[in-house]
Amino acid sequence: MARRLRSGRAGAAMVIAVGTLATACAAPGSDSPQPQATTASPVSAAPTCGTAPITMSGYFETGFPLPKALTAEFAKQHPNVTWNIREDQFAVITQNAPRVLADNPPDLMRVPQVSELVKDNLLKNLDGYARVFGWDRWPASQLEQLRMGPGGRPRGEGSLYAMGLNFSMTGLFYNKKLAEQIGMSAPPATLAELDAVLAKAKDAGITPIVQFNGGATGGLAFPLQDLMAAYGPTGPINDWIFQKPGAGIDTPTNLQAVQHLERWIKAGYFQKDVNAVDYATMMSRFIGGKGLFMFNGDWESGNLDKQLPGDVGFTLMPPARQGGKRAAMSAPLAFGIAANAKNADCAAFFLNWVATDKRAREIGVEVGGSHPMGPADAHLPAVKPGTVTADTLAAGADIARDNGAMDFIANATGAIYAKSWTPQLQKLAAGQQTPQGLLKAVQADYARQIEGN
Amino acid sequence: MTPPAPGRPARRRGAGAKTRGWAGWLFVVPALAFYAVFVLRPISLTFQYSLYRWDGIGPSTWAGLANYGKVFTDPALYDSLINAVKLIVFFSAVPVLLGLAIAATIRRIAHTRLAVVARTVLFLPQVIPLVAAGIAWSWLLSSTGAVNQFLSLLGLGGVTRAWLGDLSTALPAVGMIGAWVLLGLCTLLLLAGMSKIDPALYEAARLDGAGAWREFVSITVPSLRQEIAVCVTVTVIAALASFDIIYISTQGGPGNATMVPGLQIYYLAFSEREVGMASALAVVLMLLVIACALPIQWFTKDGKR
Amino acid sequence: MIISWRESWTGRLLLVLLMAVTILPFLSLFVTALHPSGTYPAGFAWPADPQWGNFLRAFEAAKMGELLLSSLLIVLGVVPISVLLSTMAGFAIGHLRVPGGRPVFLLFVLGLTLPFEGVITPLYYQVRDMGLLNTRWAIILPLIGLFMPFSVFWMRAHFVNMPGELSESARMDGANLWQLFRRIHVPLAMPAISSLGILLFLWTWNQFLLAIVLVDDPAERTMSGALGAFQGQWGTDIPLLCAGSLLILAPTLAIFLVFQRHFVKALLQGSLKG
Repeated sequence: MARRLRSGRAGAAMVIAVGTLATACAAPGSDSPQPQATTASPVSAAPTCGTAPITMSGYFETGFPLPKALTAEFAKQHPNVTWNIREDQFAVITQNAPRVLADNPPDLMRVPQVSELVKDNLLKNLDGYARVFGWDRWPASQLEQLRMGPGGRPRGEGSLYAMGLNFSMTGLFYNKKLAEQIGMSAPPATLAELDAVLAKAKDAGITPIVQFNGGATGGLAFPLQDLMAAYGPTGPINDWIFQKPGAGIDTPTNLQAVQHLERWIKAGYFQKDVNAVDYATMMSRFIGGKGLFMFNGDWESGNLDKQLPGDVGFTLMPPARQGGKRAAMSAPLAFGIAANAKNADCAAFFLNWVATDKRAREIGVEVGGSHPMGPADAHLPAVKPGTVTADTLAAGADIARDNGAMDFIANATGAIYAKSWTPQLQKLAAGQQTPQGLLKAVQADYARQIEGN
Repeated sequence: MTPPAPGRPARRRGAGAKTRGWAGWLFVVPALAFYAVFVLRPISLTFQYSLYRWDGIGPSTWAGLANYGKVFTDPALYDSLINAVKLIVFFSAVPVLLGLAIAATIRRIAHTRLAVVARTVLFLPQVIPLVAAGIAWSWLLSSTGAVNQFLSLLGLGGVTRAWLGDLSTALPAVGMIGAWVLLGLCTLLLLAGMSKIDPALYEAARLDGAGAWREFVSITVPSLRQEIAVCVTVTVIAALASFDIIYISTQGGPGNATMVPGLQIYYLAFSEREVGMASALAVVLMLLVIACALPIQWFTKDGKR
Repeated sequence: MIISWRESWTGRLLLVLLMAVTILPFLSLFVTALHPSGTYPAGFAWPADPQWGNFLRAFEAAKMGELLLSSLLIVLGVVPISVLLSTMAGFAIGHLRVPGGRPVFLLFVLGLTLPFEGVITPLYYQVRDMGLLNTRWAIILPLIGLFMPFSVFWMRAHFVNMPGELSESARMDGANLWQLFRRIHVPLAMPAISSLGILLFLWTWNQFLLAIVLVDDPAERTMSGALGAFQGQWGTDIPLLCAGSLLILAPTLAIFLVFQRHFVKALLQGSLKG
């Protein structure tokens, strides 16, 4: 007990010590300089990279060779420019984006969902550049997803805050050899035909769909959104993604879509361990001929042409009724310029060069596998017929005609994918969530996240 | 320097003159400074942040206890706490109980060549990074992994699955990885404790006709009180503060089935930028750890003194 | 003492089984690492054509040379400073019994059970404001602080048992406080110091959370953090991932096997005291 008594003084000393430490009692964040909203900087003449040596800092995504191929070509054409590029996984970039843009602003950066970055004034407003470079005169749909109202909401209109290096598109890849085995001579033209083909594959002992849905990435969102667009119009889906007031994901047609997906799951059309399959495993299984279909994007076209030349086809999700409109998730490969970037002008010049330079556009197709940005009548390189790349480019034209481009439901808010879609879809796949419950839960999270912002 | 008064026991507190005492402080200050700047200050800041709503960049707004309210009402948050508590079963109960059983069985052969080799081998999981354990086990537990291969060999093909990708088995599977890491340490700690038990106690028990079980319950376990407490403390903290293994093997999925507070704090603070909420959860986690560790310490200290 | 035949053999069997379970993951990594890169090997099977070259490829892909150097620099930053400062503090608190030493000691004990996740958020902003993000200092400095409670606790436990007469006689010979510490007590504390050094080495080398939060470039991280990045980048290629994991494990395993007796002793004592 003697010890106890003595530590009375101990307590006092401790309180004092902790007290002095907590002197910084100002509210967190109040002492650091706040970034100011960037308005469109008045740009009179089109900026260039000049002629003096200049080092551009970039922050790109690992595993996508396109941006580096473009910067290399750019440096060749403009020898005064050198690139200092850091790479990370997309998930890491998503986590790091606000920190990096605020604390170590790069000139050019692969950006994830941007509305919260815009709200925090971390991205440069590109309206001035758009005016002098004439980006305003491109088909409006190309840049729609990168436009933001004041404070980041709603998306889809307002000022431009990022640019695409190209725009990618998603749909169904299929293994032509397996398709032949079950007598599928042409891609299914309606949803019912697709169902029939899936059933046939299942009966033949072929996994109908290889898809990823493991870890932090719920890949069933791909087929789900395609089903949503097959059952209903794309407009309300886009409104929801763009955070238009009053938009909801919890609609009758979307419910039909989730129910359809649930039927696929129950019928065993996905692999049994779909909740443990990550993106890489899915790719290696599809390339290994372990499944008929895969819901994925055209960024894999070049890769598939190399790994399985001539054996892979691409088709858009078939509509519910014969001859109905087709739709697809399609998004620009978005790059932004940090609000405090040192070489913003040169970065903007580079972005314009990517869309307009002949060689850059060729690289965009050959390496990126996707449609380049830019004016509707700009040069498009010839692609060898019969390749997946040719299929995806043709599909891109179909989507443009049907005005069927949607952003991805995973991009509605910064956290909606990891916090909502992924766990909910994993539960659906495990039979522990109902279609109605899934939509209600996602809508509730969405409302909370938007209210919080 | 004043020499101490002759005949005075040097170990007594306050021996020697004041100068000596205060000079001694110079030895403490550097350690204390590091501790204050990199531990005490962050701890108090965690408390402070937890009372605000802050995205880590812009200005913050006062939130009072609202973040704590969310921790206990948002299922995504309190489920992570429940998962951590469930993990205790695997991280603590399994290694301690199994360790006790194993140690008791191998006690008699503790000095053979085999046991010496085993000592080294059983320590391997303690030495390697948890990240590596996560990678190795993710692969073993995958749908085509060795665990399923083994089960099929036993004719149990029906139960095979992607253990980490199944909502009902993911948490136990992650728990088993933790048990694998901690079992060796517990076994060896308990074995070391057993070697200190007076063999005469066992001889006497045998003479009284006690069986192996009686021996275990009435001699082994009570004598190992301290070692058991240590095992429990170390493993409970490992369970509550788990991060590395889960970050690597499941990222908290599928469907939040393996979400634990450590991972949730990381996601909240650095990807969802809910710094206030992350801090509130961090405070709850720190208190939970102390609430679990203190009684165990107390319990053994009482027994020893 | 007579050990019955049955008792002895169940014991042996159990031990062998336990060792098998312990080694299984390592064997699995090894076998898988030998499969052709890019394939998706099924379970536990010796490959028809072992690809020893995978290790070389993984060595290059993981930039092992850089990683080893980085981890080494971090360890060299953390361990000597932690050991020195905690030995000094343990000496003053445990042996000199400085006035007010007890509350300070309790303050350190407070941090013994601290989960690092509890302070990682403010640490990030603190390290950022110090301008140290993405440097090795971002790992080194906080780790010294975070290891301090255990280190001081450990060294105090040693010094508390040193007889006071030892210092008295040295003082008679006119040694000042620093000489007393340096010449008499540090040599006597060497066993405790070296055990502490081993533990701190291991914990630094394997530190993951701080590495992934405070440093983005794998080449400036600890081994464990680098392994995390390696998994992110090469998760596509299972055999390569396994080969890389083994390579990253190798240095600790090697050091462990060489100093195994010290390690086992340090770890057992470490957890007993903690």
